[in-house]
Amino acid sequence: MTDPASASGTAATLQVEDLHKSFGDLEVLKGVSMSAREGDVVSLIGSSGSGKSTFLRCINLLELPTAGVIRLSGEEVKFKGSGPNRVPADKKQVARLRSQLGMVFQSFNLWQHMTVLQNVMEGQVQVLGVPKAEARARAEAILERVGLYDKRAQYPAFLSGGQQQRAAIARAVAMEPKVMLFDEPTSALDPELVGEVLKVIRGLAEEGRTMILVTHEMRFARDVSSEVVYLHEGRVEERGAPDEIFTHPKSERFAAFIQNTH
Amino acid sequence: MENALELLALSPPGWGGNLLRGLWSTFQIALGAYILGLALGLFGAFGKIYGGPVLRGVLTVYTTVIRAVPELVLILLLYYLGTDLLNMALTSMGFERMDISGLWAGIYVIGFVQGAYSTEVLRGAFHAVPFGQIEAARAIGMSAFTAHWRIILPAMIPFALPGLANLWLIATKETALLAVVGFSELALETKQAAGATKAYFMFYLAAGALYLMLSLASTGVFALVERRFRRGQPSQS
Ligand SMILES: Nc1ncnc2c1ncn2[C@@H]1O[C@H](COP(=O)(O)OP(=O)(O)OP(=O)(O)O)[C@@H](O)[C@H]1O
Ligand SMILES: [Mg+2]
Repeated sequence: MTDPASASGTAATLQVEDLHKSFGDLEVLKGVSMSAREGDVVSLIGSSGSGKSTFLRCINLLELPTAGVIRLSGEEVKFKGSGPNRVPADKKQVARLRSQLGMVFQSFNLWQHMTVLQNVMEGQVQVLGVPKAEARARAEAILERVGLYDKRAQYPAFLSGGQQQRAAIARAVAMEPKVMLFDEPTSALDPELVGEVLKVIRGLAEEGRTMILVTHEMRFARDVSSEVVYLHEGRVEERGAPDEIFTHPKSERFAAFIQNTH
Repeated sequence: MENALELLALSPPGWGGNLLRGLWSTFQIALGAYILGLALGLFGAFGKIYGGPVLRGVLTVYTTVIRAVPELVLILLLYYLGTDLLNMALTSMGFERMDISGLWAGIYVIGFVQGAYSTEVLRGAFHAVPFGQIEAARAIGMSAFTAHWRIILPAMIPFALPGLANLWLIATKETALLAVVGFSELALETKQAAGATKAYFMFYLAAGALYLMLSLASTGVFALVERRFRRGQPSQS
């Protein structure tokens, strides 16, 4: 369709075109496109099983899309083969692109054998090759910002869910990613811990970070997003600016969905 | 009683020195075999996890056979088979036959047996690592090697340690079986001392005490190591 975006400022930071993903015979994504410019916050919503996580995980190739194009800052992910045999053509490229896509998981997935500080330093040192002293200083500054400086020497298992998720966000931020990917970052948390994590994510959005956010927190999505994308059974059923689509939903299904989730 | 102490004296005519030399050989063989077993176990575990059908098949035969056949039989088999094969290889290449030192043969034989058990312990530990930890490593852009070295192996250790500690104790005791092929480790030294003096009960008691000391010291060391690697886990107690 479009040429690989040039380096001009108007190019999309992340561009996904006509993404398909099947697990065996089950087609979970049936052609999903999305693009995010620098500073955009795109929220992905939809009922359980609609393919939100799968879409997010295809972007950083934790799942391999069966078809479709992914571009990060204009650089297209190279594949070889097709369908279920379609695999990345260049492992180095995959690793590099992943390091530029900061992923935050629903279940935190902090490395249990490392302290919070080591978790936040690890990617910088091992993947980006940042000298240790510099990585430590950067990690400490980020932990300070997410309110975990005092917990830096602690192991993850000794923290609350909200603290673990903030540490996981710090780990992703430390990579200075071009785009951050959040997969239901607050769904595994006790209700009273949701607020502290959303506050951190809101702070990142306000700093102008580009992010894709899968969430069930409708109010939050409405507040922070520049675009909301509603997925239904592997297709985009509705999309638009939050104020627009939440007040004037076009599709009946989306209208029913926001009714039910309020 | 005085008589007993004389018999256990470190220098001849006492036999204590022989027993301690035997203990030292036992320790060296056990340690070497354990390390060889760990190396084989790492290769075996990751071979079973990532290998193709041929490698997986070979490894399954290895772990199944070793774990099914009695240790004593394996030791005789591996010792004679191993030395014969080595000498056949040497003579066919025009070298002299050689006598393999007891130490190295013992390490090879017991290490080969240990490797089968280590394979299963490490494979189990790999599967116990929460998958999310591995995904987080991939998602941050680590190469497969870095992910294994920095994340997966360290995460496996707490799960592997109880089994590995067990294997070490088994290695120390298995060395006694090498007496049948004539290695002078603790069991054989004891037998000789007992045979020469007819003080069977006392020498076997002394040997038992030495094995127990080795075992208690090892348990202490493993407890320390385990504490170190479980720092990240809230204690169960
Ligand atoms: N590894 C997999 N193998 C087979 N099927 C899968 C796999 N991962 C996801 N699926 C299926 O793909 C569909 C979409 O799953 P996905 O996790 O993307 O949904 P979701 O929108 O994130 O749902 P939720 O809100 O519950 O997280 C589901 O039907 C799911 O069962
Ligand atoms: Mg999901």
